[in-house]
Amino acid sequence: MIKTQGLTKRFGDKIAVNGLELDIPEGEFFCFLGPNGAGKTTTIKMLTGLIRPTAGTAQVGPYDVVENPVGAKTLLGYIPDHPFLYDKLTGREFMAFVAGLYRVPKDRFEALCEPLLETFELTAVADQLTENFSHGMRQKLSFASCFLHEPKAVVVDEPWVGLDPKNIRAVKNYLRRKTENEGLTILMSTHSLSIAEEVADRVGIIHRGRLLQVGTVDEVKKLAQSPGSLEDVFLELTRQAEEEGALA
Amino acid sequence: MSRAQSPRPAGGPLGALFRAKRQIAVHTLKSVQRESKLKVAFVSVSALLLLIGIYGGARLAFRMLEIFGSELLGNAQLSLGDLVMARLLSTFALTLFVLLTFSNVLIAYATLFRSREMPYLVQSPIPVANLFLGRFYECVSFSSWATAFLGGPILLAYGMEAGAPLSFYPALVAFYVPFVVIPGAIGCMVTLFAMRHVDKLRGRWVPLGVLAVAVGLGMFRSFRSRFETPDLSDPESIQTILELLTTTQSPFLPSQWLAQGVLATATGNLGEAVFMFLLLASNAALLLWLAVLAAERFFPVGWSALMAADEQRPPGEAKGILTRLEGLMGFLPEPYRSLVIKDLRLFWREPSQWSQFLLFFGIMAVYLANLGQTQNVASLDPRTWQAWGTLLNLTASMLVLASLTTRFIYPLISLEGRRIWILGLSPVTMGQIVAQKFWLSVATTSVFTVGITVLSAVKLDLAPLPFALSVLAVVATTFALSGLAVGLGSLYPNFEEDNPSRVVSGLGGTLNFLLSLAYIVGVTAGLGVVLLWHNLEARLGTDSFPWVVAGVLIWTLGLTFVACRVPLRLGLKHLQSIEL
Repeated sequence: MIKTQGLTKRFGDKIAVNGLELDIPEGEFFCFLGPNGAGKTTTIKMLTGLIRPTAGTAQVGPYDVVENPVGAKTLLGYIPDHPFLYDKLTGREFMAFVAGLYRVPKDRFEALCEPLLETFELTAVADQLTENFSHGMRQKLSFASCFLHEPKAVVVDEPWVGLDPKNIRAVKNYLRRKTENEGLTILMSTHSLSIAEEVADRVGIIHRGRLLQVGTVDEVKKLAQSPGSLEDVFLELTRQAEEEGALA
Repeated sequence: MSRAQSPRPAGGPLGALFRAKRQIAVHTLKSVQRESKLKVAFVSVSALLLLIGIYGGARLAFRMLEIFGSELLGNAQLSLGDLVMARLLSTFALTLFVLLTFSNVLIAYATLFRSREMPYLVQSPIPVANLFLGRFYECVSFSSWATAFLGGPILLAYGMEAGAPLSFYPALVAFYVPFVVIPGAIGCMVTLFAMRHVDKLRGRWVPLGVLAVAVGLGMFRSFRSRFETPDLSDPESIQTILELLTTTQSPFLPSQWLAQGVLATATGNLGEAVFMFLLLASNAALLLWLAVLAAERFFPVGWSALMAADEQRPPGEAKGILTRLEGLMGFLPEPYRSLVIKDLRLFWREPSQWSQFLLFFGIMAVYLANLGQTQNVASLDPRTWQAWGTLLNLTASMLVLASLTTRFIYPLISLEGRRIWILGLSPVTMGQIVAQKFWLSVATTSVFTVGITVLSAVKLDLAPLPFALSVLAVVATTFALSGLAVGLGSLYPNFEEDNPSRVVSGLGGTLNFLLSLAYIVGVTAGLGVVLLWHNLEARLGTDSFPWVVAGVLIWTLGLTFVACRVPLRLGLKHLQSIEL
């Protein structure tokens, strides 16, 4: 569902993403792990069409994100870490706006809007202007609006910012159910290794723009010299890469 | 709890955008109810008075033009008023056209590339053409509302004075819409093309700036040699003026189509009016279509290049102007030094800020270049004429200052935005922050305004007293308008808005500009009394000049103290009371 081949992005002399090869099949929950500045957000920006690759390709379903951006974006949902909402729209008006952008038919919108607001516990505040929303409420509205057009794949960038433990659990379970029951593909970038360990079918560790390892959590754990938690493995792999980089 | 009716989703991306914008406008208007009643009333009454003033002034001017023309031509069949009106309207429309084109270049950059909503819209499945059209509508509305607001009463006055038919008034709207689309499309195309090549432009801003200044100066010199002001008191010069104004009447200029269309509508010449409207509409449609094509071709690449450019550190920054400026700020104590450097850095790195600042420079350069070109039109005695000249120069300097403080200083506190908590949590008091903005404003704007005043006073060869009074008035105005801008900016901050132009266009920004104008009227009125006192004294037969000077000085200083102190205190109190 999400596929990159030799995906590369340069910013001047700096290589942010270096020949990334990813293949995330339909219905998979894929967690993208890496330290700050590793290239996770740049990869996500390329997948969502916010920036163009310097080289290589990225595909969502059958669509190349550069050749057919509208097709790719129609299949994709995106939840950024700091969601953008129009402050002077109410929650419901924002949902209607998103439905319009994604050409959601009126009857489908009516069928989906209220259940989504309820799922993310926004019904009570849905007629308030979003300028009065807390960060957590904004994040939840971002989630609710993302699923309005019933995307086939969702890219989530560090979604836990501003959510309380109860909501983190609710969102985590919701995403997990969507992959298991409806075949939704999820690419989630996170620093929360415990959550990744809990929900991911596979994880990919990226460092300095290069993909260090891809596999199931168990497979990745076995790759480390002293297997422990995913956090231990992550730290060991990125440290090794640092040392290799320093030697080179 | 009863479940509210979900709003109907719009038919498609463009419909959804327009619908959302309409809803935002409705909510914004409703939010005015939460504003201070006094502020809303003051702004509304002032705006109404401004409109009435423009209408009255324009009507008087048209009537005088008519009388002037009749006096010159006697009972001739040809009305000079009509002749001059046609040319004046063309000149007005051409000026508008040029201003709109420039402002659209800047607004297109802010709207298409720097708006906070753009990353959200770009990642949505909106075809580029739809995305562009949605933003284009906003860009054109934003650039043209002020000219419609200020130009409307002038054309209304013309219609009333010329006895235009009723159809003239709705026709004005019909002509204005395609007219503003043309500079909008041109401005957007220039911006799209520039952003497409942003990679190649990086690091070449200095030679490009030098080239732009050289081209601008060349054009100015070329135009100025053609527009040497004739002696307006000589009736023989009317022919020269008419010939000069003909330059603005090229049949290839959209401004001329607008002017001719408006005049044809006023005189009931339906055929020509319809022709001019169709000419405007077809060209607007063609240019809009070309702009959409340009957007489809250039926007995705330009957007990506700009996003990528944001990821890179500015090249050569270590040796850049900012670092040199930072070095010059060594004398400032902390935390003022850090705050000033931060403000200068943010200003320098936001092209929509410094590009508009450069426009002010351009206006001031033209103003300075034209000093001394004015001539005694009413055969007044030289002293009276010099006094009027001084007063007009001072008013012009103060108006430039009011525009500078409203556009660049008023938004400073708001631009701290959501990051205000950083300052709020630091061991810097709100008083220090407000003081820093105030002194930064005084220090930067006084360079221009005091400079202009001294230069103009030297050029006008003023006597010591008017010289000193002029400089004093401008220094006082710098303090007053800086205090007003920083004070009102603190009293009505908009921490949600990142675009300074939008911060200014709110109620608080409008209030700031109107109060600045009120202050300028107060100060120039006092100064006018001093400068023209010799004439008045001859009529009144008194010997009270020193008392008048003293009285005006007290009036100016008192007004300055109030204009500076009151808003700063209120603003600071407000900032200290808000929860960050």
